[in-house]
Amino acid sequence: MLTVKILGPGCANCRRLEEIARKAANDANIEAEFVKVTDYKDILAYDILSTPGLVIDEKLMSSGKIPAPATVTQWLLAARSSA
Amino acid sequence: MPDFVTLLPQLLRSGLGNLASYLAAHVLLCLLPAFYIAGAMTAMIPKPTITRFLGRGTPRFLSYPAAALAGSVLAVCSCTIVPLFAGIHRKGAGIGPAVTFLFFAPAGNILALVYTGNIIGPDLAVARLLLSLAFGIGIGLIMALLFHNDDAAHDHATDVLFAAQAERGLGRGSLAFMLLWVALLLAGTLKLGFLTDSWATLDIPLGGAADMQSWLERLVPFDARNGEEGVSVQGAMLILLLAAVGYASWRGFERIQEGFNRWTGIALALTATTLLFAALRVEPTASGLSIGLTGRFVGVLAVLLALVWLARTRIAEEELRDWLWESWRFVKQIFPLLVAGVFVVGVLRVLIRPEWIEALAGANTPLANLVGVGFGVFMYFPTLVEVPIARMFLDLGMHRGPLLAYLMADPELSLQSILILTTILGRLKTWTYVALVALFSTMAGLAYGAWIDGASAWLIATLVTGVLGVLSMALWLANGHLAHRHT
Repeated sequence: MLTVKILGPGCANCRRLEEIARKAANDANIEAEFVKVTDYKDILAYDILSTPGLVIDEKLMSSGKIPAPATVTQWLLAARSSA
Repeated sequence: MPDFVTLLPQLLRSGLGNLASYLAAHVLLCLLPAFYIAGAMTAMIPKPTITRFLGRGTPRFLSYPAAALAGSVLAVCSCTIVPLFAGIHRKGAGIGPAVTFLFFAPAGNILALVYTGNIIGPDLAVARLLLSLAFGIGIGLIMALLFHNDDAAHDHATDVLFAAQAERGLGRGSLAFMLLWVALLLAGTLKLGFLTDSWATLDIPLGGAADMQSWLERLVPFDARNGEEGVSVQGAMLILLLAAVGYASWRGFERIQEGFNRWTGIALALTATTLLFAALRVEPTASGLSIGLTGRFVGVLAVLLALVWLARTRIAEEELRDWLWESWRFVKQIFPLLVAGVFVVGVLRVLIRPEWIEALAGANTPLANLVGVGFGVFMYFPTLVEVPIARMFLDLGMHRGPLLAYLMADPELSLQSILILTTILGRLKTWTYVALVALFSTMAGLAYGAWIDGASAWLIATLVTGVLGVLSMALWLANGHLAHRHT
């Protein structure tokens, strides 16, 4: 099972990113646990300059923008095959 | 409270009237393009082009201006401000540039500048920009000087975060796109003869236009002495169009990541129509409406056509999607608060006596500037709402000096921002920062107020530059001393 973390204090972009990531996982039939990281101390543990950030299995995939749904699906598939 | 109950209808009317005249007069040609520019900056400027100057190895004369630039183009909302601030502080150029960035972002971003310029006056917008820049760098230098041991302790941290090179630079198409929006903003707001003059006039026989105008005047109180602006027939139509744009945008932009839909096109077309209609001069006459084809209309039309052409031929669909989403996000985040704020300002305007403001902050004294700063620190208004509040104070007789002091302190300091800062910086540094902001905002107000009262701009500029020069000299000496002791 993958662990997907959404980094962000709860602004519009973070909510949208979570929505997209959940849908991507669902559509591709990938089992994943979603964790929302809202505390700035924990967010800054990752090398991130602006939120929202997407972390898949402790690897920072994107930050500061909302990636396209198709891209998120690719990342999830790649992470599952390497896991 | 019988007084309050009898006042209530008047308060509501004043609040709604204020809202209506703001929406009609100020939002369209100024804020609408500004939201799209802010969206374009966020979506299209690759962050590494600026952040790579914020790393540890960058010389100071580059990192401080880069921090200010980052504040002005990368950070409109706190989603970007806080992580970037913490990142620069912990892993990058250190506390000085981080503080410069933090101080400059609320004053230097496009929305704040445009809105201040439009509502209060270009002179105050420019003063806010320049003084925030100078004092932002000044406060950054002082913080770096006071806490240089702290920065030295971070030196072992890596620089990876800021080493990233831009995968692609700012594309020429995107740059032209942003410049065109700026052109649209200028064409829509500058008060120059060739823009405001009508090139041709068209009379439309429309019975009842004059009646409608007098009905609107009765509905919305109109008193220039209090700064109340009233609503014209054109303004009322614009408010309706604006509501339509809002609805279409909701349907068209909310799910933009999944692709464009029919509503996206409708929203964009309606926006263009609204901008064009706002640029016309519409006056009710005895027999109907007289419509003046202004230079502004021609200018806005030309820029809009160029924008459409550019977006179709030179800009990738993904980039357009990001741009629309970011702009829409800014609108969703800021606009409702602004509407509520403007309404509240309209209500307050009835309650506050001009004499109070006059007595407290009617002249450019140190005390008056302190009052402005104090009000800014203890009151928390959401992004940009400080501007209509400031406009109200101005109308009620506040001197422009203390007004600037207030405008500089308000977005910088609030309970909320102080709390977030404490978790990142610790208590000592946070309160030092707060004290410095209060001090420098007061100084900024005094300096600008002195200029308003007739002091030479050169003298003030020399003084400000002198203070900054001494500071950077001191920092250089302190760091030199430190390095010497280590060897």
